[in-house]
Amino acid sequence: MDFGSFLAAPELKVKIVTYRDIFQNKAMIEDRFGEDYRTRSAIIKLDPADLKSLSVKKGDTVILKNSFGKVVVKAEESGYEPPHRGIAYMPNSPWSNMLVSNETGGTGVPKFKDIEATASSAKGEKVTDFEF
Amino acid sequence: MEKEYYVCTGCGLLCDDIELEMEKDLIGKVHTACRVGVAHMKESPGEAEYLVDGKKVDEKTAIEEAASVLKAARNPLIFGLGTSTNEAQKKAIELAEKLNATLDDTSSFCLGPLIEAILQEKFKTCTLDDVRNKADISFFWGSDPADSHPRHLSKFSYFPRGQEKQRGWEEERTAIAVDIRKSHTAKICGNEFYQVPPGGDAEFIEALIAGLSGKLPKTSFKFPPKKLLELANILKGARFGVIFVGLGLIYSLENLEPLIKLMDTLNEKAKGDFYLIPMVGHYNMRGFNETLFEKTGFVNSVKFEEGSVKHGPGYSVVESLKAKTVDAALIIGSDPLASLPHSIAKQLLEIPLITIDPCETLSSRKAKVSIRSGVSGVEAGGSATRMDGVQVPFRPAIDAKRPSDEEILSKLMEAL
Ligand code: SF4
Repeated sequence: MDFGSFLAAPELKVKIVTYRDIFQNKAMIEDRFGEDYRTRSAIIKLDPADLKSLSVKKGDTVILKNSFGKVVVKAEESGYEPPHRGIAYMPNSPWSNMLVSNETGGTGVPKFKDIEATASSAKGEKVTDFEF
Repeated sequence: MEKEYYVCTGCGLLCDDIELEMEKDLIGKVHTACRVGVAHMKESPGEAEYLVDGKKVDEKTAIEEAASVLKAARNPLIFGLGTSTNEAQKKAIELAEKLNATLDDTSSFCLGPLIEAILQEKFKTCTLDDVRNKADISFFWGSDPADSHPRHLSKFSYFPRGQEKQRGWEEERTAIAVDIRKSHTAKICGNEFYQVPPGGDAEFIEALIAGLSGKLPKTSFKFPPKKLLELANILKGARFGVIFVGLGLIYSLENLEPLIKLMDTLNEKAKGDFYLIPMVGHYNMRGFNETLFEKTGFVNSVKFEEGSVKHGPGYSVVESLKAKTVDAALIIGSDPLASLPHSIAKQLLEIPLITIDPCETLSSRKAKVSIRSGVSGVEAGGSATRMDGVQVPFRPAIDAKRPSDEEILSKLMEAL
């Protein structure tokens, strides 16, 4: 019996920075409802130490949530030096936009590149599909 | 035989050296473009399609339905247009005037303030051709052209030979990147990559100005002063320096003051001149900003009202949706349900939408009326304004089966 499944999954607060990716952009042009766009978009790149603290391996899904929304995406190792614990990276996409705050201070500009969320293992749950 | 060149409208660079090989009546091979450009130009052109409530109808029915949605609205929103020709944008502005509509584009939440400042001559700017011919410093700040504008470095800013730069990147050009992560562009910049923490750009600018002015550059995040002084020295030696400003920098600054101060200091301390070019993503966002600016004095976020124009963040797409002040939306070449925060975009699900777009999008799937238009440069001709303000005319590459944005907007105008 897997007693681990009775324990609450460890949670981690992350600051998510979004970025653009040429391969993801190309995939979107080819088919924005396609598999390639989803696999290149629904990801979060974490520091290896953060992956470990969440008890997830690269390729596993994680739940990201905050008061604005919740998404399930795949976790990846960032491959960036130097270490960046607590900071994570996501390509700009409907998945990252699920988590962006609606607070704009009346400026008309959402904080797309400055997202705070909690990450935890999704325990095999599938990546979020969009159909509003 | 003289070669024919086409224009790629895949990004704000508007590359005008694209060669095409036709197969039957379609584009078979695309030469010279980057991978984004190839995908963009081969995007399946398909048949014209008109949908009302998801059901196929003829053109007349779709236009009439769209017109009646707009007529019934008290304050319709017209939004998008970053991937429409100058000509289509003019039509959309006319339409907004006629409907007393709120009119905005994506620049209100990206590079709008920067374009406005350039049009108000708060920054010195130059063309990308000047960059290729003269620039010895290409400085990417919060921008990553290797991913967003794939041919930027090879065609203009780093690798090419230019009139006064015959020895190119090996000897005569220096590429510098400031970013919060080691982007692909930052990798190309090698030792000239300066990593700042998220939100640290204003402080980095302050420290760099100190360094340029011969003071000790200090930051709360303890950026090595020696490295900052080295950067200041490289910049001081510039004869023709260009800063390519991206969203990373704009989102990190509260206003443009630090950037204006930096540009002024650079122009005072450096051997030569410093210019700024905005890294506009959509191929004709700048065109929309310039055309609206000429007409109203504002680059975005306007509301027409019986001949007068109101302007301010309250008329931006984001604030209009948040405050629920708009009661219908005509969306042209944009997918706000995908690109805006869901916490804000969900208001679009409460009002009737009309979409005009070459592809099916999350927004078009929710539209009351959805019309597929032709891709600019592939199915539709016209002109556009490149990220540096240069006008680029283009003609269609194939015989279009789908109408252009301009044609659809004209028909909509007539139906009103
Ligand atoms: S760089 Fe931009 S304009 Fe040039 S080919 Fe690529 S997508 Fe098209």
